[in-house]
Amino acid sequence: MIAQNRSAMYGLLSRIFLLEMDPDTLARLEKMENFQDLFPNYFEWEERQKRSRYKLVNEVLNVDFADVAVLHLIPYETFYTREDGMIESGGANPVLQVYNDYGYRVDYEKARVVSADHIGVELEFMRLLSDAEARALEEGDEEAAKQLRGEQKRFLQEHLLQFAPMYLINVAEQARTPFYKDAAKMALEFLLEDYEYLSGQ
Amino acid sequence: MSFLESRRNFLKGSAAAAVAGIAVGKGVFETIAEANTQQSTQFTNTPKQINFYPPLEEWDDFKELDGDDWKRGGINRKGVQSPDNPDGIYVNDFVIVPTVCSNCEAGCGLTAWVDKKSMVVKKYMGNPLHTGSRGRNCAKGYAVWSQMYDPDRIPFPIRRAPGSKRGEGKWVRVTWDEAMKEIGKKIAELLEKGDEVSRKMFIYHVGRPNENGFSGKVPHTLGFDGFDSHTNICSAGAREGSIQWANDDRNSPDWANSRLVFLQSSHLADAGHYFQQSAGYITDARKKGAKVVVLDPRLSNTAGMADLWIPLWPGTEAALYLYLANRVLHEKNKNGEDLVDHEFVKNWVNWKKLMRDKEYLNFIKEKGYISRLPKDESYESFIELLKEMYKPYDLDFVVKECKLEGQEYKLEKLWDMIVDAGPKITTYLWRAGTIGHRGGWMNTRSGFLLLALTGALRGDIGGVSWHHWHEISVNGKFFKATVAGKAPGKVDTWNDYSWPPEYPLSTYEMSFLLPHLIMDDEWRERWNKKGFKIADRIAVWVPRMYNPVWINPDGFRWIEALKREDKFELTFNPSPTWSETNWHCDFVLPVGLSGERHDQQSSPTKPERWTAFRQPALRVALEKMGWKPKDPARATLEAHIKAGLGEVWEENEFWANLFVHYVDPNGKYGVKQYWASKEDPSRPITIAELYDAAFSNLPKLKKAAKAAYPNSKYPCYEFMRDRGAWTEETNVYKPQEEEIKFDGQYYYIHGEKVPASEVEKDENDVLYHNGKAFGIEIDGKVYHGFHTPDKRLDFFVDWLKEYHWPEYAIPIYPKNEKERKEMVHLVTQVHHDFIKKDNEFALNTIYRLPYNIHTRSVNSKHLMEISQNHNPIWIHTSDAKKLGIKRGDKIRVRIVDTVSGLESGYFVAMAVPTEATRPGVLACSHHAGRWKLKNAVEIPGFEHKLGVLGLGAPLYKMEMDGKIGKMRAKEGIKKGLLKRKDTWQFKEINKDLDNIWWDGLTGAWQNAVAPVHPDPIAGNHAWHQKVIIEKAKPGDKYGDIYVNYDNNFKTYQAWRDKLTRPIDETNKWRRPIWIKRPAVPLTKHAYMNPMYKGEA
Repeated sequence: MIAQNRSAMYGLLSRIFLLEMDPDTLARLEKMENFQDLFPNYFEWEERQKRSRYKLVNEVLNVDFADVAVLHLIPYETFYTREDGMIESGGANPVLQVYNDYGYRVDYEKARVVSADHIGVELEFMRLLSDAEARALEEGDEEAAKQLRGEQKRFLQEHLLQFAPMYLINVAEQARTPFYKDAAKMALEFLLEDYEYLSGQ
Repeated sequence: MSFLESRRNFLKGSAAAAVAGIAVGKGVFETIAEANTQQSTQFTNTPKQINFYPPLEEWDDFKELDGDDWKRGGINRKGVQSPDNPDGIYVNDFVIVPTVCSNCEAGCGLTAWVDKKSMVVKKYMGNPLHTGSRGRNCAKGYAVWSQMYDPDRIPFPIRRAPGSKRGEGKWVRVTWDEAMKEIGKKIAELLEKGDEVSRKMFIYHVGRPNENGFSGKVPHTLGFDGFDSHTNICSAGAREGSIQWANDDRNSPDWANSRLVFLQSSHLADAGHYFQQSAGYITDARKKGAKVVVLDPRLSNTAGMADLWIPLWPGTEAALYLYLANRVLHEKNKNGEDLVDHEFVKNWVNWKKLMRDKEYLNFIKEKGYISRLPKDESYESFIELLKEMYKPYDLDFVVKECKLEGQEYKLEKLWDMIVDAGPKITTYLWRAGTIGHRGGWMNTRSGFLLLALTGALRGDIGGVSWHHWHEISVNGKFFKATVAGKAPGKVDTWNDYSWPPEYPLSTYEMSFLLPHLIMDDEWRERWNKKGFKIADRIAVWVPRMYNPVWINPDGFRWIEALKREDKFELTFNPSPTWSETNWHCDFVLPVGLSGERHDQQSSPTKPERWTAFRQPALRVALEKMGWKPKDPARATLEAHIKAGLGEVWEENEFWANLFVHYVDPNGKYGVKQYWASKEDPSRPITIAELYDAAFSNLPKLKKAAKAAYPNSKYPCYEFMRDRGAWTEETNVYKPQEEEIKFDGQYYYIHGEKVPASEVEKDENDVLYHNGKAFGIEIDGKVYHGFHTPDKRLDFFVDWLKEYHWPEYAIPIYPKNEKERKEMVHLVTQVHHDFIKKDNEFALNTIYRLPYNIHTRSVNSKHLMEISQNHNPIWIHTSDAKKLGIKRGDKIRVRIVDTVSGLESGYFVAMAVPTEATRPGVLACSHHAGRWKLKNAVEIPGFEHKLGVLGLGAPLYKMEMDGKIGKMRAKEGIKKGLLKRKDTWQFKEINKDLDNIWWDGLTGAWQNAVAPVHPDPIAGNHAWHQKVIIEKAKPGDKYGDIYVNYDNNFKTYQAWRDKLTRPIDETNKWRRPIWIKRPAVPLTKHAYMNPMYKGEA
């Protein structure tokens, strides 16, 4: 079950950091039974009661998203890891090789990112790996599942954890809405916990 | 923030499990297997990346969805059009033909996308195989399309109507053969006469050629000294300094690898030379951390993006360079080492020559440049001499001279950048200060001194080299495919109009003085009395695609002269568009633009040697589709008629046909042999023959072409036809240091084994074989060296002594007002000494507007649309306040000459107060202000009127009486154009003419008001003007001009007679024989000064 749950968390976080919010997704999030646990400050936030979801998303949350994910903060691994602070948008991006090894390619039209090392894309890749692990477990292939967990740990260690904590701390500090502050904290805590979990396996 | 304390145990508790239910993931991955299936279908919604380009193998047959049609909804909704799906998105079936842009000098690669069904070029894109432009273009490149399908294109050759006068605007249609018959007869008359004077009565006046070597062959094969370039209104000031330093025409920077891009120009974001390519390489350098500094009185877009903008007083740049040279000589870097690259200077600068010349050292001591003679001839004493000579160029001096009070901190910043950059400093000294001012050439002399001292001029990675090493010129090397089999010999006459005796050192031809000289009978008689043989008229004048009436100074003088049929007997302009000049010619012969003609073009845009091939796209596409011309030597003309472009031809085929069929059909004048085909001597050379011969001069290209087309008769031509670009050599760094092999007994020179006994060495260590210098010996090794006679960089230019300018034989600049009076030749005509009152200004005229480099792009719909209201007169806010001038005010700008003291007249412009120009200096580009005298022309017997510059020039009224000229706008653009918005030419492409929203183009024809300012040494026109401004008078209109061109004539005489030092009996040669005469090589006999009294 753990693999499925982890996959769901990665899927959720990827969705939040990859694209702006939309009223439908927000409604689904707000209807989650443990929503208050995951978004405690947002849950209490008065502003959210004053507006329709449509207005909330378009006038408040998406403005904040543009700030923390497009304009002022840069959610790309190479921005944090290259000395010159440039995003490696070409074939030399280190994550491309990893995706390639697993037979995956980023559909840029859907993802709307300039390079494959966007935090949302990397989180989504973790979801793919944990899904695969879940399938391996379903089929009783312990060996494959173990290998996949090793790969997830390596991907976290070599890629996501190289920059996501810094980025997420920045988001938590600079976001103007509790939604993205909560999301950033949740993501950071989850990534660290997941790494601990994988290390213990 | 305490992230780690609030652990929520996602995995152990229920948190994650709850999330699992909602599944909001976006799913941005596809498997590679899926991706591949998608790619294998023929069309995708969008290319995967923006630099998508079809592979070369598909260029002859490439299918692409139609962009316009796509607006109905993409293929997801409509599918692809086919017989089964007539409502689908249309598919274009293209031949992609590579060509070269011709809208500036850069020669960026283009591809023309020719629709096979309609034989219409649907778009122009970049050529990814061109290693200079790297597939990219600026707005001018993409605008080629709107030039090609200009509704006012001249559709066939026209001739001034019989009985009408030049400039009346009455035209009749003629055939190409009728035109060639009349022109050929006139040229043949000169050949028939064949004497010295007749051979200088033909002038081919070439605007920017955008080809490498063909146009010079036109007068050369005729045996005429008849080539005029536009250079002396463009860049001759810069070239003079480059020639003095290196006997090379221009420098060539390695922008991409430099650490400091030190500009006097606007290469990064406006329109500096080779703009689009330079901008890309400068951007590459910045990405790696390079700094950009701009010296410019105006805040150009480039200056706005630079790390440092230094708005010095225009024309004082040399003072700043010498100040920097002074600091390089005296200061040390942070490790305590000298900043001078002694190894380079000692080996590669000609200091020994100076240190040996005791007479000259005494001369500069008397002049006060130095206080004592050097103690010996050593290198160390040379450096001591420099230290003393340049010491007075200190901070106090430079701040006063360049008027940089309060901006001293910028000089400190600049200094730090120079120290940091070491030898990796780049610049391209070209227009700007070097062409704006009297003495502008000293800009280059002093600028390159700084670069020589720091070692940047070694031309290593990130430094500055010379253009001959980074360029390919083979367009004129095609004679092995002709009957002659080899190039013609040297020409044995001297054209005094292009090279008058007052300007022996002029970098290029004094073409902008042609109308003045030709109407100056007194001048001609004065020299003829001294033994010169100056013709009293020009029999045939051919401004190739050139528009001197409009772009040269003193335009009314041009019109006055061109109207004189006794002075210019026959004139014709091979021109793709209407222009102010061809309005005053006898014939206008429509020739092709960027995608409609053949040229070999190469530019020194980076340290490599690339060449590109301009081609008529429609012709190449037709030939690839199986079409064959009736006459293979006229294929371009036939193809353009066939494809519906009009009777548009190109110069290559035109001249070959003219010479073979009409000038010298029997071969009796010896001209035909150079233009008749070796394969079939009865006909002119074909394009395939010409370019196969030309490109086969490049060994690597030849090898690649033979490998790619093993069975072809013309492999080099076909190789370039299909690719459009080739790079012969990359990483060309410090070629002067390339060694010549010497094994102790033999030298190996260009493959020849020469015994040491046949080699002589002179006192400068230059090595000669058979009297020709081939290399230089330094520390026992032999190198190719630079192009100067002493094979080094010439700090000391001894031949300036011979030509009566000894005081300027080394980089120098006057240090105070007294020296400025003595050394007036180095002082700009707009120096602040001359600008005293509140309403007096220096007018900065010569910055290029990025969308309008050549007059030929005047009627491009796209370029005109983006060029509206971009050329007001810039005035500093503090000056505007003093004079009570507000934004949008009309002002009269009166031009006053500081040599003759005469006033030229005025133009009326719109003032815009701004802090983007410095106080005391106005800015208004001379690249705007086009005009026409008729909206359209009727051609007897032709059903349509021919529109004249409908999109690019307002309608003006002109008056001139021999002394005073006046112009006033009568009507804007809209009125004339809307009358014929349903154009008969290229209707489909011009169906948006009713959308033309602009009605005028800001900017008066200021060039007409400007008098000529021939620099007494470099010969360039010094463009900047002293002006007095005042608010417009009631009734003044924007664009009004009033010119006293009689005064302008006196100003021409004043600059000529007060400032020049003509050749005299002591000069054996009319010009130093080692400086290349561009375009036409002359015999020594032709170089002889008829007044020379010494030994023959």
